[in-house]
Amino acid sequence: MNEGDSTQLILAQKKPWNDNANAIWLASTVNLLRNIEKFKFPGKLNEERKKQIIALVSKELLTMNSLAQPSLIKADIIGTLEKEFLAEHFLSAQNYNQTEAGEGFILDHSGEFLATLNIRDHIHFQLIDCKGELENTWSRLVKIETNLGKILNYSFLPKFGFLTADPTQCGTALLVSVYLQVPGLIHTNKIDEILEKISDDSIIVAGIQGSPTEIIGDVLVVQNNYTLGLTEENIVSSIRSFTTKLLVEENAARNTVKNEDSSEIKDKVSRAFGILIHSYQIEAIEALNALSILKLGIDSHWITGIDHKQINELFFNCRRAHLICQFHEKFSQENIPHKRAEYIHKSLKDVKLTI
Amino acid sequence: MADDYENNISDEEKLPDRPLECSECKKPISVRYTEIIGGHCTRTSMCADCPELYRRLHGTSTRSSSITQTETTAGLACGNCGTTLESLYVGIPVGCSVCYEVFDDVLLSEMIASQKIPSRITIPKKSTPIHIGRAPGESQEMNPSLRLLALNEALNETLKKEDYEQAAWLRDQIKALTEHPEKTNE
Repeated sequence: MNEGDSTQLILAQKKPWNDNANAIWLASTVNLLRNIEKFKFPGKLNEERKKQIIALVSKELLTMNSLAQPSLIKADIIGTLEKEFLAEHFLSAQNYNQTEAGEGFILDHSGEFLATLNIRDHIHFQLIDCKGELENTWSRLVKIETNLGKILNYSFLPKFGFLTADPTQCGTALLVSVYLQVPGLIHTNKIDEILEKISDDSIIVAGIQGSPTEIIGDVLVVQNNYTLGLTEENIVSSIRSFTTKLLVEENAARNTVKNEDSSEIKDKVSRAFGILIHSYQIEAIEALNALSILKLGIDSHWITGIDHKQINELFFNCRRAHLICQFHEKFSQENIPHKRAEYIHKSLKDVKLTI
Repeated sequence: MADDYENNISDEEKLPDRPLECSECKKPISVRYTEIIGGHCTRTSMCADCPELYRRLHGTSTRSSSITQTETTAGLACGNCGTTLESLYVGIPVGCSVCYEVFDDVLLSEMIASQKIPSRITIPKKSTPIHIGRAPGESQEMNPSLRLLALNEALNETLKKEDYEQAAWLRDQIKALTEHPEKTNE
């Protein structure tokens, strides 16, 4: 695949978050890490050996029935914008800017599947889901992984399970993340109390960029803490159980906001709306924070002309690489905050504040 | 005389073969360690800078001793990919699957120190598996009622708190799932 086709394929991916009307559950990702037996891990491989891995894996994955028209994109033929777009699209914790020859990506037409090749581990299978279907997503990914495992042998030891470059991810090598937007709990200052109440040592909660203290856009990322010493079913069920409890608490907090008619929260919603509508330039973090507070306004009927589905779309689309791709003309780096403001104004043009 | 000869043979046969490489890190043997406790005798063959030797001589494997251990065993390296013990301690990823066998105990103590192993798991003997679940070639089906279990658990908690609004929301979700079970088992 040449550079133009690869760019086209990445940027024209279906956006799984379109049509997600869920007020809290933004997305979830399920990841499986695998290395191929007898090969050293990517950090110790030269380019030629890495290319052999790509050839071995892509030969099988590109003809797999469970994927919708998969394609291989080599990391050295795409630019940084495409790499950033991929990381944003799949909510990846690592960015792919440093990827080079001998590394690559396999995507399919669903816009939900990504396999990264030779980045830390030989294969990092990933599915993103925006429908709250955690169990089904896990089953789909296991199917892809086991199909490939029929042809290639994965590195495995009975003691440590599936072996990974980061030893703290060995065992099941399954990483599950759920992205929950909880402005109700955060802006009523109940979040710490609730997280302490439902805490579970098998779960870690962090912000969208991995920091446990910096919460952006009121999004909490609920992840499994252990990959070794428990089954994949245990991991998925503990995440499901934790997120269900958090969803119940967030629903309750939003009902409290609605019923208490608090001036403080009304002020926050009005200010957030003002920032989004009247800013000439706006940074991503400020925009994501304000969009989250609008959700409180929608639930309390203080804001009309927009629903959760549109806010969710805006939330994902106003991140840097996605924003740049909304516009067909080219613009400078310094102009991005202004273009973001412009894009948000356009999306919120029918929205009214009724407080 | 013939009997004595036979006895000698059988005595020799009883002795285990002298291993050529360290039982811990696969380096050539330089120390043969014999420990007699009560009437019981154990023999271990190790390389000179073996972490196991250090543990036997100084006892324990606490966090503080494992740090000292780093200094004494800095030369330990994986024979397959060259990853050194030092590099593991500074967080460089392991280089190959052989590293897991070479640095077995070190990796385990690192995982315990960073709380990446459930606390209920007692650290097993050297060869006992810690991994639970699928092995290569095995597939696992998700129990379709898992999501229902989580919803029921949350429902019971909300009822205890007498939050009937949330209970109703949860009941709706349970109802939707039980009426359309294919949604949970696609």
